[in-house]
Amino acid sequence: MNTVERAHAIADACRDFEHLLGPVSAEMFLDWLRIELGHESVLDGFQTIGNQMLRAVAPRVILHIVSGNTPHAALQSLVRGLLLGSRNLCKLPSGGLPDAEAFVARLPADLRARVEFSTRHPDPGLAAADAIIVFGSDETVEHFRALALPNQIFLGYGHRISLGIVFEDAAFESAPLAARDASLFDQQGCLSPHCIYVADRPQEYAARLAGEIERFEGTSPRSKLSLSEAAAISESRETARFRMAIGHDVHLWESRESDAWTVIYDGDPIFHPSVLNRVIYVRPLPEDPTAAVELARPCLSTIAIWPNTQPFAERAASLGASRVCALGRMQDPPWTWRQDGRHTLAPLVTWRSWEPDITRYLGGLNRS
Amino acid sequence: MTRNFEELENLLSAAIAAGEPGRFDDLALEVYRYQREYNPPYDQYCRLLGAGDSPAGWREIPALLQAAFKYAALRSFPAAKEIAAFHTSGTTGADRGVHHFSSLRLYDEAVLRGWDLLGLQPLPQIILIAHPSDAPHSSLSHMMGTLKARAANAEQHWCINTHGQLDLDRLRDLVDEFSRRGQPVMLLGTALAFLHWFEALEGSSLALPIGSLAFETGGYKGSGRTLSKASLYAMFQKRLGLAPDDIINEYGMTELSSQCYTRGLDRPHTAPPWVRTIAVNPATGREVADGETGLLQIYDLANLGSVFAIQTRDLAIRRGADFELLGRDPAALPRGCSRAADVMLSATS
Repeated sequence: MNTVERAHAIADACRDFEHLLGPVSAEMFLDWLRIELGHESVLDGFQTIGNQMLRAVAPRVILHIVSGNTPHAALQSLVRGLLLGSRNLCKLPSGGLPDAEAFVARLPADLRARVEFSTRHPDPGLAAADAIIVFGSDETVEHFRALALPNQIFLGYGHRISLGIVFEDAAFESAPLAARDASLFDQQGCLSPHCIYVADRPQEYAARLAGEIERFEGTSPRSKLSLSEAAAISESRETARFRMAIGHDVHLWESRESDAWTVIYDGDPIFHPSVLNRVIYVRPLPEDPTAAVELARPCLSTIAIWPNTQPFAERAASLGASRVCALGRMQDPPWTWRQDGRHTLAPLVTWRSWEPDITRYLGGLNRS
Repeated sequence: MTRNFEELENLLSAAIAAGEPGRFDDLALEVYRYQREYNPPYDQYCRLLGAGDSPAGWREIPALLQAAFKYAALRSFPAAKEIAAFHTSGTTGADRGVHHFSSLRLYDEAVLRGWDLLGLQPLPQIILIAHPSDAPHSSLSHMMGTLKARAANAEQHWCINTHGQLDLDRLRDLVDEFSRRGQPVMLLGTALAFLHWFEALEGSSLALPIGSLAFETGGYKGSGRTLSKASLYAMFQKRLGLAPDDIINEYGMTELSSQCYTRGLDRPHTAPPWVRTIAVNPATGREVADGETGLLQIYDLANLGSVFAIQTRDLAIRRGADFELLGRDPAALPRGCSRAADVMLSATS
């Protein structure tokens, strides 16, 4: 199976998972290859890229270490390895990952044979892998980075934080979009916003956002939480309630008789992370938000903006975001997205070059 | 009519001294009404909740989040009357809570009476906690200073130097000296201080005289360290020859005035008679049934000058009137993409 055939087969298998992966087509995958590797068939044989003849070599074996609470990241990582034509060892959390397993079941036999799932500790896979991709906390990433051998390619995706900025929105048109971004995957992903900064009437915006999140909850209820997660939500709510009671510029909206969703307007613009699981802060956007988002800057991933125009995108990018997108699209990065500001396919391959035009080389020598 | 601070303090002092919980509800309601009148931030919080002046019993009194001590001065007395303040640990001033006092009478009485209820023989004390003069805002240091009244011949030896470090030479000399004399001692310290000491012993052991005891408290907050209680107690056994039943664990916090204790492994913590504890479901706020897990709420009559009912951050299993502490579970707290991978890592490494 060559790369183009793989792209088609993978795209077919992805169709049932567009709720996790967004729109998918073989052409998107081929574009991705062209952008990152220079040619869609460069994994199959030498191709002219610029003024060179190059061939890309994929890792023979990729070990993917993924989290159970972000199945989309696991699927994206698997798609990456399959598109490159590698064998993929996928370390799943102990509870398994039904979406990933269902996805693989839809692949043709040739590709299906290139995926192996395991819930055991991945040490044996570690030694066998040419490349290791890890999704997890900074501690998890560092743990596996320390175990990796010097000749192994290592890609670690640690803790990341995302947020939204509403620069202008007189009619609060973006509120349902922000609600979708904050609610999808129960806010567990690195692309989920912790906070929405709003330039104009932020408290009113928060009220609208609360209504929209409640509406979203009506059709897509949040998952059941552990006691620790529920305790964290309780603490966020009661802190907000107490601050509200003593006259701080804080307001709380919350689901009744449940902890399904929480919106907290906080007049203090300084960013603080949310405890997630549909707990979202709304803060006023300062004239210069640089200091306000300083805490998030070292691990800032995506800033979603409204309206999605270049001048506002430039301002958002200057705050340290590696990705800027429209509100409502936070969870749908394109395949060509530079995750954490880096390519996602290119770092996995090594290169073979061929210099067929020996006379050019000799000509160079003759000139000296 | 609400009694004034001194009148209530006298009443509560007598209740602590008597160790008699019979009038708990009456005292709780009096303290609640007093705090509603004289503690404006707490009163504002209760108003927002719609809480009335006459709850049906102590369980109906609104518990205030422990973290609230970071956001307001929760005094039930005029600020001008303040004589002491204990600060919670924290990396910056902004995230530190403060417990204010106009009198330490009830605090000290609760410390001493609570200690007496453990039924221990007075022993000389070796203390792995900063001296109160080096840590005037530490409630734990103050408590240790107060316990001088329960040390044999008021003999206390402090082994944290002025830089906040363990004085390992002094510790070794003291243990050697008491061993030579055959005099049992009480070692008091944080779990982290004991852990540092055991690691510094580098595999060697010290022999404490028979009858010696240890008091440990606190976790490993801010240290990045985690260690199960069983593992820590195994180290006590190996390094000092102390069996689990020779070790007393204290559960307390800056925001409270009283302490809960347990001894050995696999036993629940017990509150003194002037304190009540319940566990509530964090999602609903309702009390959980016996054997179930919830967020721990503590109702401490000795907290007259601040807030009687405190909602802690700790999870606990309800065991009748006692509780089995689970604490905060950092690995289970949501941290974006990381959670499941961390769980996997902790389960397999």
